Amino acid sequence: MVINFTPVHYIAIPLLAAFLIPLIAKVSKNSVKFVPGIVLLYLSYVSFTLFPIAINNPIVEVIAGWQPPFGITLVYGPLAAFLVSMITLIGFIIWLYSFRFIIREPIEKYYMLFLLLITGATGIILTGDIFNLFVFLEITAIAAYSLTAFLRDKDGAEAAFKYLLIGSFASTFILLAIALLYAQTGTLNIADIASKIDNVEMPIRIIILILFTVGLGIEAELFPLNGWAPDAYSQAPSPIGAVFGGIVVKAAIYAFMRLIFVLFNFESVFYFLVIMGVITMIIAEMSAMQQNQIKRMLAFSSIGQMGLVIIAFGIGTEPSVQAALFQMFNHAIIKVLLFLAAGYLVFHSGSKSISSLDGLGRDKPITSFFFALGALAIIGLPPFSGFWSKLYILISVAKAELIAVVVLVLISSVIEAVYYLRVVSRLYFYDENKEANVRRTPATGLIAMGILAIVIVVVGLYPSAIMDVLKPAASELVNKAEYIRIALIK
Amino acid sequence: MIYYVTSVALILIGMYAVLVKRNLVKIVIGLTIIDAGIHLLLIAIGYVEDATAPIFSMESLTANQMVDPVPQALVLTAIVIGLGVTAVALALVIRLYDHHKTLNINKIRKLKW
Repeated sequence: MVINFTPVHYIAIPLLAAFLIPLIAKVSKNSVKFVPGIVLLYLSYVSFTLFPIAINNPIVEVIAGWQPPFGITLVYGPLAAFLVSMITLIGFIIWLYSFRFIIREPIEKYYMLFLLLITGATGIILTGDIFNLFVFLEITAIAAYSLTAFLRDKDGAEAAFKYLLIGSFASTFILLAIALLYAQTGTLNIADIASKIDNVEMPIRIIILILFTVGLGIEAELFPLNGWAPDAYSQAPSPIGAVFGGIVVKAAIYAFMRLIFVLFNFESVFYFLVIMGVITMIIAEMSAMQQNQIKRMLAFSSIGQMGLVIIAFGIGTEPSVQAALFQMFNHAIIKVLLFLAAGYLVFHSGSKSISSLDGLGRDKPITSFFFALGALAIIGLPPFSGFWSKLYILISVAKAELIAVVVLVLISSVIEAVYYLRVVSRLYFYDENKEANVRRTPATGLIAMGILAIVIVVVGLYPSAIMDVLKPAASELVNKAEYIRIALIK
Repeated sequence: MIYYVTSVALILIGMYAVLVKRNLVKIVIGLTIIDAGIHLLLIAIGYVEDATAPIFSMESLTANQMVDPVPQALVLTAIVIGLGVTAVALALVIRLYDHHKTLNINKIRKLKW
């Protein structure tokens, strides 16, 4: 099976499975649950076996026999290999968690949209064609809108509509940018555009850059375009909040950074990124501080972390990009753990507000423990993985002699510590909330959280394992000429 | 030229509708008008004066007698995507109406920005 596996299967298999799910549901309602699990387990197994191959010898797949730059290509280099492995693995863990969490009908629609969302996110990462990128962004977005409204309540529909409105604006801007790029360069292949972009006049390049920044900034939660995020995160079912933070945003950041590094790699853009990152981070952390609903707090914290990632990308050197990718990985695993743990805490306390979590640490020791572990890891305390990525980011920022940014990152870490520890202390040191309706967390949920917790601790003890993998990925992203060479010549 | 002006005008009209109108259905209509404007813009980019449809099996045609086929392919895809988004949007509007019994967006805003 593995021998014939090519990157297009990453898109084809989940897409096919997503369309088969309603048919399978007609035959046997219960077996639907297992489909995404089998698909994602298989894909993550394959992505780990393909990983060493992709690092040494990037795979470029030509779709339907049209050679680049005319046809659509899929570029499976070290960076794509890393992100695809991450997405399929996290997708699998979230499926494991959903297995007993999503008991509401219609479950077949939930799993269908979930697989479509994974398809879109992997597609964004694999594709080498800019219009194809837009198509996958829209697939992801449509699945995300529908999943936000999955619970069929008032607020869910409202959050979904808001998300859809902002998302449609994003797609408008991206499509305009693509139209302009095509008019200027006459090609849609990203590598081919990159080799011709220097002929485009500077004002037009900047207009295209602004359009892309607005469009992808909305999906990547850049300030001030992230108004949809807190509502969508908190109104969607908890596993979907985890998907937004762990998968959708990561794919959008990847698309944004790929375009910045290959198409708009002039000096001032990177300064702009650092400034945007700092503003995003500070505002988001301050807003997170004021929230009294736990999932909104996690959403703002997620935006803040994306700000940190964008700062690290904005430094633009190879070690800083490596640190940024490490932070993306850490944020993906830690924020997913926090969302999954918060999902059951909220479910059992019966209300979304933080004050109703009082004393749950005694009734629900394991789930609370996972939440506390995630909180300590995301603040960046030493034995956990979050510490290393923050440290590497600070080192690379300091090397770029941006001391003010270092100070601001540290201040935001302190703010982060305050609001996370506030929740943790409520879990453990407050009197019990009498209204809490405590039941046992299902085993699948605990296994899902356990896997993530183990990854956090192991990566925290051996950060070099991840850093070694990220080195070729970072150099692929920074090195424009290398990407053009890989993606165009086959 | 007229195509470019029209497409930009359509995009601006659509944005006006989305940003200013308070009725949910009108907002969705605004989104589709923006889409139409962008589709027209894309087609205009590939348009060649006095050229005909790009059919490669007709041997009498040379490349400079045809319009650019790529934007047309893009627009076909974009139309399908736009249809999907509009369908989801209208489904959400129906659900919002069921819950709130109104289409006025000012009366619905419960979640803060």
